[in-house]
Amino acid sequence: MSKIIATAAIRGAHKLAQRAEDELNSAIAEHSESAAVSLPGTAYYLPIIYSMLGLAVQSLGDMKKVLARARSLLPEVPSENLWLPYLGDALDAGMAALFAEEIIETLKYLTGPPPAEGIWLGATSDATLRNQGIKLVDGRMPGFAACVGALPSVEDAVKLARDLQERNILVFMAGSTNGTSMADQLAEAGIEMNWDTFLVPYGKDITAAVYAAGFAARAAMTFGGIHPAGMEEARRILLYNKERVNAFVLALGEVDDEKYATAAGVLNFGFPIIADTDIPQILPSGICTYEHVVSRTPLESIAQKAIEVRGLKIKIEKIPVPVRVGPAFEGERVRRNQVALEFGGKYTHAFEYLRSKELDEVEDGKIEVVGPEIDDVEEGSALPLAILVEVAGREMQKDFESILERHIHSFLSEAMGIMHVGQRQIIWIRISKDAAKAGFKIRDFAVILRSKMINDFPSIVDKVQVTLYTDEEKVEALHPEARAAYDKRDQRMGEMTDESVDTFYSCTLCQSFAPSHVCIITPERLGLCGAYNWLDGKAAYRINPTGPNQPVKKGECLDTVKGKWKNVDDFVYENSNKTIKSFSAYSVMDDPMTSCGCFECIVAILPDTNGVMVVGREYGGMTPSGMTFAHLAEAVGGGQQTPGFIGIGILYITSKKFISADGGIKRIVWMDKELMERVKERFIQRCSEIGEEDLIEKIADETVTTDMAELVEHLQKVDHTALKMEPLF
Amino acid sequence: MDIPLEKHKGKIRTVELRKESPSGLAIGGQDCLALHLFEGSYPNKPVIAWEITDTDPSKWLGDVRKPYKDVLGDPVGWAKMVREEHGAKIICLNLIGTDPNKDDKSPEEAASLLKNILSAIDIPVIVKGPGPGEKQNDVLAACAEAASGQSCLFAAAVEEQYKTLVASCMAYGHALVAETPIDVNLCKQLNILISDMNLSLDRVVIDPLTGGLGYGLEYTYSVMERIRLQALGGDEMMQNPFICFIGDEVWKVKEVKADDPAWGDREKRAILWEIATATSLLYSGADILVMRHPEAIKAVNEAIDDLMKG
Repeated sequence: MSKIIATAAIRGAHKLAQRAEDELNSAIAEHSESAAVSLPGTAYYLPIIYSMLGLAVQSLGDMKKVLARARSLLPEVPSENLWLPYLGDALDAGMAALFAEEIIETLKYLTGPPPAEGIWLGATSDATLRNQGIKLVDGRMPGFAACVGALPSVEDAVKLARDLQERNILVFMAGSTNGTSMADQLAEAGIEMNWDTFLVPYGKDITAAVYAAGFAARAAMTFGGIHPAGMEEARRILLYNKERVNAFVLALGEVDDEKYATAAGVLNFGFPIIADTDIPQILPSGICTYEHVVSRTPLESIAQKAIEVRGLKIKIEKIPVPVRVGPAFEGERVRRNQVALEFGGKYTHAFEYLRSKELDEVEDGKIEVVGPEIDDVEEGSALPLAILVEVAGREMQKDFESILERHIHSFLSEAMGIMHVGQRQIIWIRISKDAAKAGFKIRDFAVILRSKMINDFPSIVDKVQVTLYTDEEKVEALHPEARAAYDKRDQRMGEMTDESVDTFYSCTLCQSFAPSHVCIITPERLGLCGAYNWLDGKAAYRINPTGPNQPVKKGECLDTVKGKWKNVDDFVYENSNKTIKSFSAYSVMDDPMTSCGCFECIVAILPDTNGVMVVGREYGGMTPSGMTFAHLAEAVGGGQQTPGFIGIGILYITSKKFISADGGIKRIVWMDKELMERVKERFIQRCSEIGEEDLIEKIADETVTTDMAELVEHLQKVDHTALKMEPLF
Repeated sequence: MDIPLEKHKGKIRTVELRKESPSGLAIGGQDCLALHLFEGSYPNKPVIAWEITDTDPSKWLGDVRKPYKDVLGDPVGWAKMVREEHGAKIICLNLIGTDPNKDDKSPEEAASLLKNILSAIDIPVIVKGPGPGEKQNDVLAACAEAASGQSCLFAAAVEEQYKTLVASCMAYGHALVAETPIDVNLCKQLNILISDMNLSLDRVVIDPLTGGLGYGLEYTYSVMERIRLQALGGDEMMQNPFICFIGDEVWKVKEVKADDPAWGDREKRAILWEIATATSLLYSGADILVMRHPEAIKAVNEAIDDLMKG
């Protein structure tokens, strides 16, 4: 921690403690030690002192005890040649400063001048706290800003207030710079300030900032259900604030010792400080979620910066485009004669590409259309298009790029009168005449994408900027980079192995109808429904940490061949309602994975052949086992563990881990024709990898036979490897 | 011969309603399956909540309007009537009049009505909003404030909209109903989300969503069994009492409305329909049954007394 800040904070805390003591002594002289003191409208006594110490201050005498505690917290002001006072000391000093300030403010109610006078509101009642607190807790208000000091001009003050109000952030104001406070400036501009306008002027004295901290402390007691008593409860109250009360301090103008002390006090609550002046910065995280003190922030971006530093999530209530947006419009087609403008398909060159960048490289909400807009071209024409979405987020990972990119399709389709088909470089987008008539522009694609990304992925996306290129040359110029990125992503997923990760993901989405079924998704075995691969599971967990996809640490490996891990077994047992004791990732014979009912295909052993068959969901005919897919499904689904039968996702067929414990792909003796067509390319590749180039020729399908005896005959004729392999059981 | 007994390691939480009043109620608290008195302890009897509405429920069938004909449109009088004449132990105030598509009564009107009812009767009150949406949030928040400290039960938090109600219940000391559409996972997830906001699960009652007899009753029945088995098996996120809103589901179905003489006396049939739905869900573990017709309520109350004799 910066020595300058620590030293100033400790110095300021000493000054405040001295002031509190002086004022308390004269109050005692005038009244008596037993004189009652209180803040109006609260059952939490002096909330900061009550929450941190568990002390219910009710008289001047009680205040004396508190001041003694504050003094004991106060470290010496560090001397010139001491280089390590730092964080702990400064935080203690800050807490002592808050105690002193709360005493000073409360004394004002006894001796005057009254804190609530003129534009100033003074202490907040419990009734208001509950009322406003509900909005903070349920997210209608993303957080509060404690503004300390004043801005260079009235216009600056008004702009900052508007910036914060627009985002529904509650604004508390206290303290002054050169005799002026932000609230004075707003009053000069004739702006109404009260709880309804989200602009709350506490008091001109810096000590009034303690009301903001008191508000936070009471929120933890009211909504966190924490009852103050001692250190442990105090810690929980502070942590509650760090985790749930999204507040921050805007230090406006010059920062003096008392302000440093107050700032150090609220740092204890995990509220970072953002300053417009050149004060030292404290960037590493620790007490706060991210940075502690960020300075030299330009006024025009101070609100945005604060949101970023505190990690606030702002929801966009209504997407500002001229057409309606909702899932109801998703499947809509725009016919040829209805087209106002189109992109891609067989008409022009179009693609969409999402990439992640560093936080400071993305300007949230920036939208640009490079090339002609809809009004620049004739109705019914086609333009080239490159959609470049750039996102940044504290929790964003490269691996999530493809998942977010895949959502471009549903996001744009949800706009009424917009058709979006395909993905990556095979997209085809149409804007209908009705949408164009309503005023829909090309740039609205960007508005929709930004709003949806921010709203639907708040845990990973903090900032989004979108560029739409409709200029042929620009589109061509960007294309190679996009193509290289697609290839790299595919390659990454292809290269990932179960051994290369230490965590798998579960999926219990289907437990509503298959109560004992748990899917374990590994890099080389995707979910049996085919809809979730390992990366999807990872992202889904980030996005919804209480949802059906949970991380499962592999833990100790019990069997490398069959794919059994201790932690995975424990997880499956616990989450299958204690029905499935063990699970093999790579075997159809020994403790195979259960199935819900959503499997894309079924793998079933054919004992007479010493091999297995794979049947796709679409195949309606008979199989050599004497059962149709529907019959087989009954034996496989519903969360049963039936050795010899598993339900799988199509991509698993060509995975290196496909029933690898039982001999792998070489065991396949029969597969329905349509399914083989779908996997053919990868299947051939897989065959050559294992040096069985002719395997694919030897596998029978329904055109060869669906009769077991005939199948065995066929296998002997083609000399299928399965016949010579170790017996399956 | 010794009967083999099932011992469960989990226990259903006890939710206390209007605990400040001598007529307050505790719900739940059992450590065995529904009515399995031989297997564990069952400290609190299932209860029936009498449904009353804030405005004259014009859509209610004549058969169920008749017993209340003097108090329809007078919710305070209605509450007193069921309390004094029928010995109600708990009521459910259904705020249908606040629905923006109906009378669109203001949150303040609802709040002051609730206050009046709470001073007129000393039993617990379930407050049911007009259904998910902005309006429900405003109405229930105002009611929660008006009833501060009277531990009412507010319905309902749903996955898409639970935060405001949770915050209101925390601020003013109430319990809430967590409603999910007949789904074990969603039920658990909503309970997790609610407890993540720091509301103690001692203040949560599960609404598994009721299907009436012939209209999905068996789905509700089996999802309740599933949730209960998981709860008793030790899953802490599911160990909450159940509430089933019977009246609303029963009194709208074709078989209750139809005047076909071949189907016998309509009024009798309707009452039996409500009884059959309620008793079935009693067997699957309902702790609070919200019902309408006095005769149906009387019959089910007798059944509860009988079953709880052991």
